[in-house]
Amino acid sequence: MKLFRLLLLVPLILFSDADDMYLIKGGMTFLPDGSVAKKDILVDEGQIILVADTIGDVGAENIINAEGKYVTPGLIVFSSLGLLEIGALPQTNDTSSDIYNAGFDPSKAYNPFSQAVRLNRAKGVSSTVHVPRASGYFSGLLTHTKINDGYKQKKQGPLGLVTSYGESYGDSRAAQLHFMEDLFDFVRSANNSDADEVQFIEGTNNEYKFTKRDLKAINKVLDNEMPLVVLVSKATDILNVLKFADNQQVDLILWGASEAHMVADEIARAGVPVILDPLDNIPGSFDSLNATYENVIRLNEAGVEMAFYYAQGAGAHNAYLATQSAGNAVAMGLDYGTAMKAITSNPADIFGLVGVGSIAPGFDADLVVWDGDPLELMSNVENVLIDGVDQDLSNRYEELTERYTKEKELPNSYRSRE
Amino acid sequence: MIRKLLVILVALVLYGCSEEDSMFSSEAEGSVTNYEENLHGTYASTYVPLDSKNIVIRNATVFDGDGNKFQNYDVHFSNGEIQAIGSGLIVDGAEEIDGTDKFVTPGIIDNHSHMGVYPAPGVRTSSDGNEATNPVTAEVWAEHSVWSQDPQYKLALAGGITTFHVLPGSANLFGGRGVTLKNVSANTVPDMKFPSAPHSLKMACGENPKRVYSSSGPSTRMGNVAGYRDAWIGAEEYKKSLEKDPSQRNLRNETLVGVLDGEILVHNHCYRADEMATMINISEEFGYKVSTFHHGVEAYKIADLLADEGICAALWADWWGFKHEAYDMSIANIAIVDQARGGTGCAIVHSDSASGIQRLNQEAAKALAAGRRAGFDISEGRAMTWITKNPAKSLGILDQTGTLEQGKDADLVIWDGNPFSVYTKAEQVYIDGALAFDKASNFMPHTDFDLGIKEWEDK
Repeated sequence: MKLFRLLLLVPLILFSDADDMYLIKGGMTFLPDGSVAKKDILVDEGQIILVADTIGDVGAENIINAEGKYVTPGLIVFSSLGLLEIGALPQTNDTSSDIYNAGFDPSKAYNPFSQAVRLNRAKGVSSTVHVPRASGYFSGLLTHTKINDGYKQKKQGPLGLVTSYGESYGDSRAAQLHFMEDLFDFVRSANNSDADEVQFIEGTNNEYKFTKRDLKAINKVLDNEMPLVVLVSKATDILNVLKFADNQQVDLILWGASEAHMVADEIARAGVPVILDPLDNIPGSFDSLNATYENVIRLNEAGVEMAFYYAQGAGAHNAYLATQSAGNAVAMGLDYGTAMKAITSNPADIFGLVGVGSIAPGFDADLVVWDGDPLELMSNVENVLIDGVDQDLSNRYEELTERYTKEKELPNSYRSRE
Repeated sequence: MIRKLLVILVALVLYGCSEEDSMFSSEAEGSVTNYEENLHGTYASTYVPLDSKNIVIRNATVFDGDGNKFQNYDVHFSNGEIQAIGSGLIVDGAEEIDGTDKFVTPGIIDNHSHMGVYPAPGVRTSSDGNEATNPVTAEVWAEHSVWSQDPQYKLALAGGITTFHVLPGSANLFGGRGVTLKNVSANTVPDMKFPSAPHSLKMACGENPKRVYSSSGPSTRMGNVAGYRDAWIGAEEYKKSLEKDPSQRNLRNETLVGVLDGEILVHNHCYRADEMATMINISEEFGYKVSTFHHGVEAYKIADLLADEGICAALWADWWGFKHEAYDMSIANIAIVDQARGGTGCAIVHSDSASGIQRLNQEAAKALAAGRRAGFDISEGRAMTWITKNPAKSLGILDQTGTLEQGKDADLVIWDGNPFSVYTKAEQVYIDGALAFDKASNFMPHTDFDLGIKEWEDK
């Protein structure tokens, strides 16, 4: 089998640019089935072309010795990386819109040179699902973006339409359900409308105003081209959202879901995946009184597919700490493979992303070499490949550290940036 | 809703605090600040420990909190106190716990928490951390806002937290007094108060006060500084006037004079290096000492100055970027502060978060890794001081807790593995020798708020 594959490779090797070829040797490799095994990985033309126990000399110019190290798919995070430089500075914030809601795709504003992007890349993140925060009833569209160095990033999307359900200072959650039902019925019936915008409920505020772009996005959900993604915490709210999605025959993803463990079987029966932070164990609102570390354990036992993000600290700036969230899930009793998948292959699987999240032939060569267990707090990233390109891991924060730890002859401000 | 959550999250991060460590005379000189009465009289701690166990833990790996890590060590405690640590202790009549493959540390101390004043659930009706009605509110006391039924305490306890310091928020130049609490279940705040722990004063630099008071002032950093100095001048005048009229009362100035007299420890929320240096100047002008700068995302830039001044810095391992003054992050911040001037710096890992407080050991691990990566030779024993001895010093309670020394409070944690691993959990937590948390038997305090809402626990 192995020999057969190698023979198949020969023409590829002959016609490829050797500079593009990477052979990662002997790393403890996280495999699609959730296991970890010692493997060699051959990368060419930006893709993984072979994963085998041993790959001999195939003429790869770039050989990364990963003996005693760990190799994982690049982390896929959920964040506003590249859309938000400094949290409290609106000037640097491209995550939100007051004009558009359902049709708002913030990833168009992506800045690949954001310092947060550079840091997260250096910490093992190879791509992000961009999270929109428009102010209307819908927050906007999810899009997947590689965070490689340079001006060009591969994107996939839109992946889903984001809204929220539950606790509100405004209307009853019953009214929220009425609204969603009425809105979806309306959009269905107005499918062929040429109107530039629709004020859904006269006399109400901007929340209920939809432009053509917004209506188009909602239609994609109604046509099952992408799922509805609902931020919801409370168990009874989750049941209502499940029922709503079933009635409307739309695909659903749950987000946050701190009380999901109470209705884990219902979620599993509906085949609905959940995106959450395993560290969310505080009854921080009346919608999450039953928040617990056990959430991921019970969801997993029920057979619910999960993806993890890190929601503590400074949000996007610390998105790479999804490893810490996953590590804690293991500490709570989740098996290692499921936890690793929740930050690599599951985000891809949940959103139908093509070619990312796994170490297998045909997948994009988004790979991270770690000097220890990737979920451990004291492990470091050594290499990050995105689309087969070994990334520059330098970042402003290492430069700051060096500036203040090296021997100084002149004041800091006179010293070179390198 | 997403935005709402984000705003709450950011707000939680923004409302930081500050604190201090310093030696202080126990005698107030000539003046009546009511400090002694406050500490030992009306507002004194009424904490009574639960019955202490008499236990010897055998053959554990022991971090003493003073920089050391011992293999195959025993720890004996009884009557609420550490009796001895060593190898092969000879102890009669104590319950024996096999510590093989287990780790023992002092109880973890967080010197920056808002549990109780920003309890869960986070709703306006119990949001009591910032008296944001005036830039100077030295007269308010966090202990008068603390909700004794906050369900967050036990979550921190499961992470090994035995002592935490509750501060007012950072909306004001002077936010008010902080309070140090034992992580015990009680119906009143005095029943939680750490006995004889000095009071603290929260001060705040930078963006928060100038944002909150942008219309009425201060609206600039120089306005902030004028505000601190004005208040201290007022406190000096008050102190003089006490000589003529020792019976007068002024709540605001009683706190400030308490600082000038060295009785109250200053905990100063301050991110930027240049601002911290300015705050040190102000402390010199008025003759007080800053115990601790809190948050100090740029502390590494003045690590030598902090070491020279004997000022601690309470920091996050890696949180940054949520505001402009938190932009110049170095993940080696804690290590650089620690290693300054030949390792004489006082670095503290703090949380300022009801989530982070549950994993201070993990935050210390990340800071340790970053320090080693930056080229420092730092031991695990040293890193353990960041969450034990140094916060105790910062709070003025090192004579009672923070290390496993004979005669100190038996506040300690038994871990099921190395506390610098993400996979490690606290198995048991003892406070003054009494069992406060036991993972195996699910023994832990439940607040009144917890009752009736945890139907899933019996599932």
